[in-house]
Amino acid sequence: MFKRKIVGAVLLLGLVGPCAAQAADEPRRSAAQADAEQKSWEKEFDEVCSKTQDAMTFSEEELKDLIRRCDALLPQIEKLDESQRKVHLGRLRKCRGLYAYVLDAKGNEKK
Amino acid sequence: MPTSSMRKVMRRNERRLLLLVAVWGTLLQANALLAQIYLPKPPPEPSQYGKVILDNHAATGPGPVVFDHWLHRSKFSCRLCHVDIGFAMQAKATGISAASNREGFHCGACHDGKHVFEGKTIFAACGDTAEDKQCSRCHSLGKKEARKNDYKEFTARFPKGIYGVNWEAAEKSGIIKPVDFIEGVSVKKAPMQSREDFAVEPAFSWVNPITFSHKKHSVWNGCELCHPEIFPAAKKGTIRYSMFSNIEGRYCGACHGKVAFPLNHCQGCHASGPLWAP
Repeated sequence: MFKRKIVGAVLLLGLVGPCAAQAADEPRRSAAQADAEQKSWEKEFDEVCSKTQDAMTFSEEELKDLIRRCDALLPQIEKLDESQRKVHLGRLRKCRGLYAYVLDAKGNEKK
Repeated sequence: MPTSSMRKVMRRNERRLLLLVAVWGTLLQANALLAQIYLPKPPPEPSQYGKVILDNHAATGPGPVVFDHWLHRSKFSCRLCHVDIGFAMQAKATGISAASNREGFHCGACHDGKHVFEGKTIFAACGDTAEDKQCSRCHSLGKKEARKNDYKEFTARFPKGIYGVNWEAAEKSGIIKPVDFIEGVSVKKAPMQSREDFAVEPAFSWVNPITFSHKKHSVWNGCELCHPEIFPAAKKGTIRYSMFSNIEGRYCGACHGKVAFPLNHCQGCHASGPLWAP
């Protein structure tokens, strides 16, 4: 009888233990995931918006691609905390706006 | 002796002349009135020019902030603050708060008690520790405490122009070296390609043309501060830039008349001033 109880307890611990450890690990993992996501959009943001100085030298296709990448960044930036979102949305708007402006200007030149 | 029909014609002519004079007088007065409305207002003292009062939370907080453009523009490019840090060009559009400063945004992007500039640690904006509490340093409107930097003293060795400091000459001579990059805030970019200056032909023959320094403007502002929000893309000749729109704060008036040299300084843009100038 006693042996059965011991075996039951061991089995229970064996089952619950890893689950509890996993649950405890969850916030740490999600924090790490959020950190990785943050780094990934920041990297993409820096990459896309570091080219504004050269906007005039890009072809229409390159400009369209940069605009598309800016648009893809928007939903990720919208998820950020208020201050960071406000600042980066403004920066993204300016950066995207410039590429769209140069694209328009190139189109106007052709007409 | 004039006949009665002649007298009639004379009276009619007199009436017409009177009417013409009245109409002409009214038009002149209307013109003068419009000119009153549309003439650029004389700028304040150079020390007060570009002063911004930030009173987002004036009723409950430590009082409005007084921001002097002259101090910051001597150290940083316009682009750095208005693009990278995110200060809007219009009043109350930025949404600065003590919390955003503490989180390292807006003023807190530099004023964090950690950044070092010209060998000094920049004090923390809205810091929450006792030694960081220097509220009156910025929240200074109507307070007796003297502000740390005095315009006259600070700009004493700067070259002067027709109106206060000649910032372009100050940079050219190396007295000021506006910074355009902050680690952790700005995006690393290739150096700015030199932009071609170009002439802007006026719509009226009595105004001298403008040689627009695209180079100077792009070095201080980058491209994205002006395009497309201030100067949108348009087919050449479809947008009419005028002094009226400038006075209303559009196009050149987004900066000139507020922070950059005032609109009354005709020669600043129209190289030899108006044609009637001596």
